[in-house]
Amino acid sequence: MSDQRSMIRDAMQAIAQRKPGKSKLVYDKTKRTIVAVSEGVPTPQALNITADDADMFGVVTLSSGWLRDKWSSLTKAGSLPVGFSSWDDGDALTQLELCIQGSGTHAAATLVLGQQQGQASEGIVISIVPTDKPTHRSDVFVSPDNIAYRGELIEPAGPAANPRDVVFADIEPQLDLRRAGILETTVLKDRTVLCIGLGTGGALVAVELAKSGVGHFILVDRDRLSVGNVVRHPGGISQVGRTKVNVTRNLILEKNPGAQVEVHVMDVGFENRDVLAGLVQASDLVICGTDNRQSKLLINELCVSADKPAVYGGAFRRAYGGQILRVRPKQSPCQQCFVSSLPDEASDVEVSSQDDADAIAYSDRPVAVEPGLSLDVLPIATQLAKLAMLELLADKSSTLNVLKRDFDAPWYLWLNRPEPGTQYADMPPLSESRDEMTINRWYGIYFERDEQCPVCGDFLSGLAAAYGLDSTQLPALPEKE
Amino acid sequence: MTWTMAQRQRLALENQILQNEGFTQFGVFHHPADDTYSAGGTATTSVGRNYHVFCMIPPSYPTQRPSLYITDPNPLLNFNGVAISRLGVSHAMHTLEPNTLGWVQICHWRADRWHAGIVLQKVFLKAMLWLEAYEQHLATGRDLADFVRTMQEAA
Ligand SMILES: [Zn+2]
Repeated sequence: MSDQRSMIRDAMQAIAQRKPGKSKLVYDKTKRTIVAVSEGVPTPQALNITADDADMFGVVTLSSGWLRDKWSSLTKAGSLPVGFSSWDDGDALTQLELCIQGSGTHAAATLVLGQQQGQASEGIVISIVPTDKPTHRSDVFVSPDNIAYRGELIEPAGPAANPRDVVFADIEPQLDLRRAGILETTVLKDRTVLCIGLGTGGALVAVELAKSGVGHFILVDRDRLSVGNVVRHPGGISQVGRTKVNVTRNLILEKNPGAQVEVHVMDVGFENRDVLAGLVQASDLVICGTDNRQSKLLINELCVSADKPAVYGGAFRRAYGGQILRVRPKQSPCQQCFVSSLPDEASDVEVSSQDDADAIAYSDRPVAVEPGLSLDVLPIATQLAKLAMLELLADKSSTLNVLKRDFDAPWYLWLNRPEPGTQYADMPPLSESRDEMTINRWYGIYFERDEQCPVCGDFLSGLAAAYGLDSTQLPALPEKE
Repeated sequence: MTWTMAQRQRLALENQILQNEGFTQFGVFHHPADDTYSAGGTATTSVGRNYHVFCMIPPSYPTQRPSLYITDPNPLLNFNGVAISRLGVSHAMHTLEPNTLGWVQICHWRADRWHAGIVLQKVFLKAMLWLEAYEQHLATGRDLADFVRTMQEAA
């Protein structure tokens, strides 16, 4: 009987982890019950059970890293207190040390090395006992002295009341493993990304980069998350009132707990120029998701002078489309080159907050707040994140390298709909077009860097030449009191 | 504030452009006492009135937009005899935030349209246009915006 129970448990874990196990679960039509049978045993009268059918036991998750750190204390004292965040009426107990954001309900437990002796104490007890199970399993912990252990749960109400598995979360190796196939490198761990502007697009990009394994973030934004933001921003209702940098920091840590995240609640303006210059200097890549021209041009100037690549992204008004500009200083056009050569494109921005509206309005001529749908911002954010990844991987070999051929233009354009009143209003339907522009496609667009750009080129000689002046032979300026 | 060599060179060049291109009523000036720069001069409108225009060169110039003020006459009155500075940011008058001394700030380029490729010669040209529109406003009572409608769009 207990043999059948442990076989069921093994089979369920195998199903849940999408891995072959020693046994499989079937529904026995004659017994009208679920049984575990050894793999390879034919079961003509039974229905195979898949991962989708399987219901997991409750799970207690312990931090492997924490346990390794505390191992000598545990072996000395024999037991240690451990705290959990209790989720879904106790269905999942997650060790507090793993939680970036807790459930609000705490459960206390005692970790005991070896079998529990004598009377069971108050509350939950987890016995850590040696095992001969293979060490790659998530329910096996390998101690610093290289012995395999498993956890056994003893609850006051008795073991049958609320069956739970004890699993060990070893975060870094487990997350790295999932990324290894496509990136073939852990170089992103050492990369620092400066994310300026953490509205919907900026926050989405930051979280995507965290998932991909970027290890260092510097976040800059001055705003707090408002209720109105929640329909678009990855931050939720529980986070309303917090600064967007702190909300995003938690979202990043939820995806990459090992990441280092520095936050600055700060306006992206000329008054903070020196601080911003320092942050640019400290980063490998700058992602600018602000939606006003002055902040983009300020960041552009700082990035060009520090020789740091930058990616600028934004939605058009009501997010009918969006664009991305990638700047490799002195190699590709910069934001100033963009503004000079394509002034209309550069100024079509989404007005997603009252501050944005105020910035472009006269007080007797208000501008409406017209944010777009989250759905329409997402494609821009994902493309921006991908371009950012390519910059961060630089010359490192990865499966993504083949994309460098496709993403070699400086400017990317995306249209969500044929917005009336724009040059895209008369685009053919997606289903009919072969050569003309349509919605839902990325366009990589080439334009020339301005050799006489005031930011990335030699503006002064060009200007002097245009006015027939010799810029090296100018008289000193008149002086005034 | 320390100015970069590129900033100092640019300001010297901007002044030379003003002098060479027939904008000699304006100039760029260095203030050695605190190592700051300003630009300005006295503009004369087609009806022969004089206005003094002035701007401090901001520390992040040219990426940062310079604010241009009319410092004389002060107060500058509208058709109804009201100080224009009391109107604040006004589309009708094409003005931005006045400064604390009550100087009227002319909207030459809005901050969201400004970029480092714009030279002071063009800023002063905009100021001259604004003053002509202001003269029209005084004569007719119509909004200044009626006369300089395209000012913010023009590059
Ligand atoms: Zn440039």
